[in-house]
Amino acid sequence: MDFEFTVNGVFQAISLERKEDRVSIRHGDKTLEAEVRVISPNTISLLVEGRSYLVIIARDKHKKHIWLDGSAYLIQSGKEEQRRAERGDDRAQKGKSVVTAPMPGKVVKVCVAEKEAVRKNQTLAIVEAMKMENEIKSPLEGFVKKIHVSAGELVDSEKPLLELEPKV
Amino acid sequence: MFKKILVANRGEIACRIIRACREMGIASVAVYSEADRAALHVQLADEAAGIGPAPAVDSYLNMDRIIETAQKRGAEAIHPGYGFLAENPEFARRCEKAGIVFIGPNSRALELVGDKIRARQTMEKAGIPIIPGMKSVAAGIVEYEAEARKIGYPVMVKASAGGGGKGMRIVCSEEELRAGIEGGQREAKSAFGDESVYLEKYIEDPRHVEFQVLADNHGHIVHLFERECSIQRRHQKIVEETPSQALTPELRLRMGETARKVLQVSGYNNAGTVEFLLDRNKNFYFLEVNARLQVEHPVTELTTGVDLVQQQVRIAAGETLSLKQEDLAQRGHAIECRIYAEDPSRNFLPSSGRILYLREPGGPGVRHDGGIYTGWEVPIYYDPILAKLIVWAETRESACARMAAALDDYVILGISTTIPFLKDVISHPRFREGATTTAFIKNHFENWKVKEVAEVGLTLALAAAALDDLSPSQKTGPAPGSKKEVYSPWQTIGRWRIGEKT
Repeated sequence: MDFEFTVNGVFQAISLERKEDRVSIRHGDKTLEAEVRVISPNTISLLVEGRSYLVIIARDKHKKHIWLDGSAYLIQSGKEEQRRAERGDDRAQKGKSVVTAPMPGKVVKVCVAEKEAVRKNQTLAIVEAMKMENEIKSPLEGFVKKIHVSAGELVDSEKPLLELEPKV
Repeated sequence: MFKKILVANRGEIACRIIRACREMGIASVAVYSEADRAALHVQLADEAAGIGPAPAVDSYLNMDRIIETAQKRGAEAIHPGYGFLAENPEFARRCEKAGIVFIGPNSRALELVGDKIRARQTMEKAGIPIIPGMKSVAAGIVEYEAEARKIGYPVMVKASAGGGGKGMRIVCSEEELRAGIEGGQREAKSAFGDESVYLEKYIEDPRHVEFQVLADNHGHIVHLFERECSIQRRHQKIVEETPSQALTPELRLRMGETARKVLQVSGYNNAGTVEFLLDRNKNFYFLEVNARLQVEHPVTELTTGVDLVQQQVRIAAGETLSLKQEDLAQRGHAIECRIYAEDPSRNFLPSSGRILYLREPGGPGVRHDGGIYTGWEVPIYYDPILAKLIVWAETRESACARMAAALDDYVILGISTTIPFLKDVISHPRFREGATTTAFIKNHFENWKVKEVAEVGLTLALAAAALDDLSPSQKTGPAPGSKKEVYSPWQTIGRWRIGEKT
């Protein structure tokens, strides 16, 4: 049975096949055999050639958060990631750049005005979270097309702060 | 001894204090903001009281509300933890007036050491070495410019009421000065409610070495040796250890005696920390007194065998220090790593959200001081510290190995944390050599990214994701990652049940 995932923006295909008490895992040109024991909804034990791996799995709306052998992986199913990429393309096609809040927080200051010309890396706004001020820098040279927030406003992660139009 | 203590804090430190109270047979009252109703400290305490909306100014900094709550609940003392009201002399004074014991220094000493500028003046008079810089706040930018020229660039902007790296800026030239001062003032205002800043000579590549001190109300002062806190990002400590690799027994003795003298000339009581900068030539300068329990206090506890929180409570209750300087000794080596809700690959950007899974490391010599649990939603309003991982071992080398293993075992899923970054710090050859200075992160970890992992790890993680899609705990129907949606996945592979043998 075949599965498609995206890990850190890289597409990954994997196929599993059950063979009696084991599962055969095919990933790229590599094949592994693992004995599987699902211990709880969050934990799976895998034995691979005598080596013991504990896998911890948690889920949110979009992703699986997987911990294995001291490393954490963010895994999305293939389709969702494609849709997300398509949405991103839409945005890019309109020829504007949306600057979003990198984390939830409070807008302390908007440093630019609409129609103002901005340099790359110029500070556009300051968002405070967890008592730290974070400067939001311009990703490009151009001018400010629209400002969506004002000082004092609480913003969520990914919330558009302002729109830029690149210099042509 | 007190019968009931109100803990005017949140997070891991509130939990730490509540545990000490419980061991001493003292009832604890937790206070919480609207964002913290489900917080761990509320769960652990004997009693809990809401004190207002989420922003700290309306809750954890609301002095009237906290004192009123203590009175209503019959708490005889308030432990302020660190941050919030811990070093606020007005709060200490109001407690004193209300007949409640403030577990910390008296308000006069707090006022003196809390005002970094006055403290510098006092220490200079007492013959304690200080960093060259301003001895008062300037009236405006012109005066700051003149002072900066006098001191010589690079200079450091520091919050007069400061601590914890808040309000601090390094300024290398006059063009940057205005922005540095304004940024520092804004941050200081929001963190401490006081926007005054001053300038100091910036000492390049120093070590940050501090001494833990305890003073009772009867004039007895002991120091409990040093902590080396040089590993910092954004002027905030992230790894601390003791003993310091930079101190010789002779230097340790001299700095310890200086630390005791600092408390003496300040008329200080209860627990405090005297911070020093140690330059390349092993000159040390008084930096400031942290008039509170420090975040990194556990490394001292593990090497001296003294419970600092219990000592604080005993001192506040008027007991005489039972510790004698000559009886105190350091044993073994302890390291602390601070686990922050931050994304180290994105310049330590705060990362709030829900903790989907938590597994704390354990084993001999491993201590975990946390304020989190699986399902806890980390709020955006407060300091991003989640927990502290502290290890003790006989030697520094084994402590490093123990810390590396503990970090490897530590699982927090759902939000970004400093764990992967800390692993690389602990395993860095320069760290292993003990070559730690405040520029360590900047010199060795600029633009840090998570290391690529062994490919078998990725394969197994993907296999686990696929198995998870098939597990009955997921919604039934076609698995979201599956291509062949027309077939039931169970037909091809069979379902896995919890505890089932394969």
